[in-house]
Amino acid sequence: MSDFVIIDGNEISFEPGETLLQAAKRAEIEIPTLCWDPRLEPAGACRMCLVEIEGSRLMQPACSYKAAANQVVRTQTSRVQRNREFILSLHLADTIQDRDVMEDNNPSRIHELAEVYGTAGDWTPVAKQRVGRPNDVNKFISFRPDRCILCSLCTRYCDQVEAVSAITLAGRGAHTTISTADERSLTDTTCELCGGCVDVCPTGAMTEKAAVEYGKPERELEKVRTTCNFCGVGCQIDLNIDTEANRIVKVTSPPPGTTVNDGNLCVKGRFANDFVHHEDRLTTPLVREPGGGLREATWDEALDRVVKGLQAASARHGKDSLAFISSSRCTGEENYLMQKLARAGFGTHNIHQCAAT
Amino acid sequence: MTNSIPEIRDADFLFVTGSNTSEAHPIIAMEMKRAILRGAKLAVADPRKIWMTEIADWHMQLKPGSDVWLLNAMAHVIVTEGLQSDDFIAQNTEEFERVRENVLRYPPEEAEEITGVPAETIREVARAYATTEKAGIYYTLGITEHTTGTDNVYALSNLVLMTGHLGIRSAGMNPLRGQNNVQGANDSGATPVFYPGYQNADDPAVRAKYSEAWGVPQSETTGLNLNEMMKAMSDGRLKALYLLGEDIVISEPNVCRVEQAMNELDFVVVQDIFFNESCRYADVVLPAACFAEKEGVFTNSDRRVQRVRKAVEPPGQARADWEILVEIMKRSGLEQPDYQGTAEIYTEMASLAPKFAGISHERIENEGGLQWPVTTPDAPSCEYLHKGGILRGKGLFVPVEYRPPFEQEDIEYPLVLSTGRTLYHYNAATQTRRNEQLAHKQPEGFVEVHPKNARRMGIEDGQLVDVVTRRGRVRARVMHSRQVRFNAIWMPFHFPDVRTNYLTTDAGDAVTGTGEYKVCAARLEPVPESIPEQVFPGAFAAVE
Repeated sequence: MSDFVIIDGNEISFEPGETLLQAAKRAEIEIPTLCWDPRLEPAGACRMCLVEIEGSRLMQPACSYKAAANQVVRTQTSRVQRNREFILSLHLADTIQDRDVMEDNNPSRIHELAEVYGTAGDWTPVAKQRVGRPNDVNKFISFRPDRCILCSLCTRYCDQVEAVSAITLAGRGAHTTISTADERSLTDTTCELCGGCVDVCPTGAMTEKAAVEYGKPERELEKVRTTCNFCGVGCQIDLNIDTEANRIVKVTSPPPGTTVNDGNLCVKGRFANDFVHHEDRLTTPLVREPGGGLREATWDEALDRVVKGLQAASARHGKDSLAFISSSRCTGEENYLMQKLARAGFGTHNIHQCAAT
Repeated sequence: MTNSIPEIRDADFLFVTGSNTSEAHPIIAMEMKRAILRGAKLAVADPRKIWMTEIADWHMQLKPGSDVWLLNAMAHVIVTEGLQSDDFIAQNTEEFERVRENVLRYPPEEAEEITGVPAETIREVARAYATTEKAGIYYTLGITEHTTGTDNVYALSNLVLMTGHLGIRSAGMNPLRGQNNVQGANDSGATPVFYPGYQNADDPAVRAKYSEAWGVPQSETTGLNLNEMMKAMSDGRLKALYLLGEDIVISEPNVCRVEQAMNELDFVVVQDIFFNESCRYADVVLPAACFAEKEGVFTNSDRRVQRVRKAVEPPGQARADWEILVEIMKRSGLEQPDYQGTAEIYTEMASLAPKFAGISHERIENEGGLQWPVTTPDAPSCEYLHKGGILRGKGLFVPVEYRPPFEQEDIEYPLVLSTGRTLYHYNAATQTRRNEQLAHKQPEGFVEVHPKNARRMGIEDGQLVDVVTRRGRVRARVMHSRQVRFNAIWMPFHFPDVRTNYLTTDAGDAVTGTGEYKVCAARLEPVPESIPEQVFPGAFAAVE
C-alpha cells in the first residue's frame, strides 16, 4: 500500500474504498460520531463528524467521505470545533437537555459528547411534532419520540444487520418518526425482538420497557462480562447488576468489533434473564420420604443420601448399573468433574449428555 | 465448526441444510445475512420454508429423511461434470474412487422422485457450490437427528472433500452447536467414548494415564451413550441415575418409555436450577446455581473457550454444580484437591489433555476467548481447522447408501411429523417460559399444518387437535402454515403442556444413538367443539 491520506499531519495508509473515519480510527485519531456504527452503511445524518479537507470549500462527513491519496484532512481546527458545538446544541434542543432525566436508563451519547466537546449554549427546545406508537402492546421495547434525533441507527440496524425491516422512518419533515407497518405493535410485525435498536440508540429513545420500569439508570449498574447461556454461538454479554439488590436488571452487548457476536444479541440473550431471579428457583435440597413425597433437607443429609444411594446400587447391581447424565448447560469444569465422578468415583464409563439429541 | 463464526460474513456461497439458523442461531444468521447483503449466494435444503429461505437463491424443499439422496445427487453432478478438485483429492484424501462409483448411481432425475427437489435445482446448487472457492456448509440437527444421521454427515463431508472447500477461511464444514456448552461438555470428556480432549476411552494407554493421575484403576468396560442409557433403564440394566441439568422426560424421544423406565430405577438424583419434570422421579433433588451465579468456562460452536463469571449470589442454599460434585466425590471416598476455584479445575483437566494444554483461565482473562487446539502456553488461538493439510492426515471418503427413515407415512398415519425449535423458547424451556415477555409473544405449543391439507381434513386454523403416533397422543393447537410441505406437520418441543416427545421415535442412529426426532408417522384427530383461537401468529407470519 503506497497511498496515504494526511490527517492532522499524520500520514495514514488506507485500503481502496475506506472512509476518512476508518483511516482515522486506525491511527487512533478521535472523530466524534452520533449516527455511525461499524456494522452499518454510513448515513451521514448527524453531521457530528464533519472535518475540513484541503481544496474543499465545504466540510465533509468523515463517516462517508472516501479517503484519497495525498488528501489533507484537519479534524482539530476551530471551524471543526465550532461545528461540533453547534451540532450538539442543535441535537440537544431536539431531545431532553436535562441529563439526569435523559439517562433514566440508557446512557446518552449526546450528553457524553457535549461533556467532551462543549456546546454552543442551551437553545430553546424544538416544539415536538414526532409521535410514537402509544397503542404498541409489546412488552419488550418502547419508543420514546421526545428523545429521538432521527439518526436512523435503529432503522438501519433493523434493515442491514437483523435484516427484518420491522421499523422504519415514517412521515415527513418535522413529523418524521420511527414507526412500523400500519403502526402495529412490534410483536405483530416482522420484528424478532433482538433489541439491536435499543443497543444502537444514542439517546435512549429506543429502550427496554422492563429496565425503565426497574428505575435504576445504567450508569449506576455494575457490568459483569460473561458468556450467554442459551445456544452455541457463545455471545459475550454484559450482565448489568444492581449489586445492592443482588439483581440482574438488564443485559447489554459488548461494543461491536470486540467479541464473537460483534455487538449483536438475540431475543433470548437480551431479554430472557428473568429465570435467574424467578420464585420457582430451587433453594433448598429435597429428599424423598420412604414411599412418599419430597421434603426439604439439609445439604448434609441430601449429599449423604446421594452417596449412599449410588453406592448401594453399585454394590448390589455392579458399577455399570449406574449412569451419569452430565449437562451441556453446565461449565467445562463441571462436566470434567461429572465424568471424573463417574469414572474415578464410581468406576463406570456410563457418562454422557445431550450431545446425542 | 472447522471455520469461525466471524468468517461467515466473508463467504461467497452458503449451503445451509437442516438448520433453521435465524431461529436457532440468530447471531450466526446475522453473519449469513451480512454475507448475502454483500452478494454471497445462499442455498437452503430444508423440508420447511424458514426465514432463511425467504432470502435464499435456492430452496431445496426435500422430503424429510431423504438427505442422503439429495447430497449424493449433488456429488453425482460434481463428479459427472468434472467439477471436483483433482489436486485436493490427490494430495489430501483417500478412497475417492469408492464414492465416485457410488454416487454415479444417484442421478438428479431419480433424486427428484425421491426427494421432491427438481433435478435442475440440484444441478444448479451443486455447480454453484463446487465452483465457488469460499463455499461453506452449515448444518445442525436437521442433518443429525435421523437414523441416517451419521450417513448424512458423511455425505456432506464427501462434498467438502471432493471440492477441496476445506482448510481455508470461510470454506469448510460447520455443524452449529445447539447449546451454550455442548462443545465443552464433549471436550471435557462427558461422553462414554472419550476422556477429556477426545482421548479414546478404549485405549489402554489413555486408561493407564488416568488411572495414575486419579489414583483409581479405570474401568475396562465400554460405557453407554444417552440413547443406550434410556433403553438400558427400560430393560433393567441401569438401577441408579444421576441427572445434572437436563430434563430428560421433556427432551428425550419416545418419552413415555423413558417415564416408565424412570419409575423402575432404584435411585435417582436430579441436580438443577428448577424443579423440572424429571424431579418428579427423584429421590434427591439438589439446588444448583445458574450461569450468572458461578465461575467457569463455556466452549462455543467454533471451539472458543470463553469465561463465565459470577454476577449475582445464588438464591437460598443453592450451590454451584462444581462445588456439589467435589463434595460428593469427597464423601464417596475419592480424595480431591482442595480446589480454590474453577481455574484450578480447568488446569487439572488441561494438564491431562494435550488439545487444551495451552489454555487457562488466566490466559483467557488476558487474551479473550481461545479456540482450541492450543497445545502450549504460547501457541496461538486456532481460527480454522485443517489449515495446510487435513488433521487426520488424509481425508477419508465414505460412500453412503440411502436408507429410508425408521418410520414412513402410511394409511393409518398419513403425515410426517418433524420437531424443532423456535426463536422465542429454548429446549425444555425451563428458563424461557418463565419469562413473562416471551410467554406473551409465544404462550403455548402448536402444530403447523399445511392449510390445504388442513382444509381437506376439516381442521380450522387455531383449532385443537390430537396429534397421534404409534407411541402417544398429544393435544395441541393447529397453526395453518405454508412453511411445511403438504403432507408434513411440524411441532416445537418446548412446552410442558404439549409434550411433543410422547410422539417421537427413539429409533437412533447406529453410531451416535441420536434419535430420529425429524421423522415419524402421525395423524391428526380434531377435538370436537374446540373453538378456534390463534394465540401465536407464527415465527414470521408477517412475511407470509
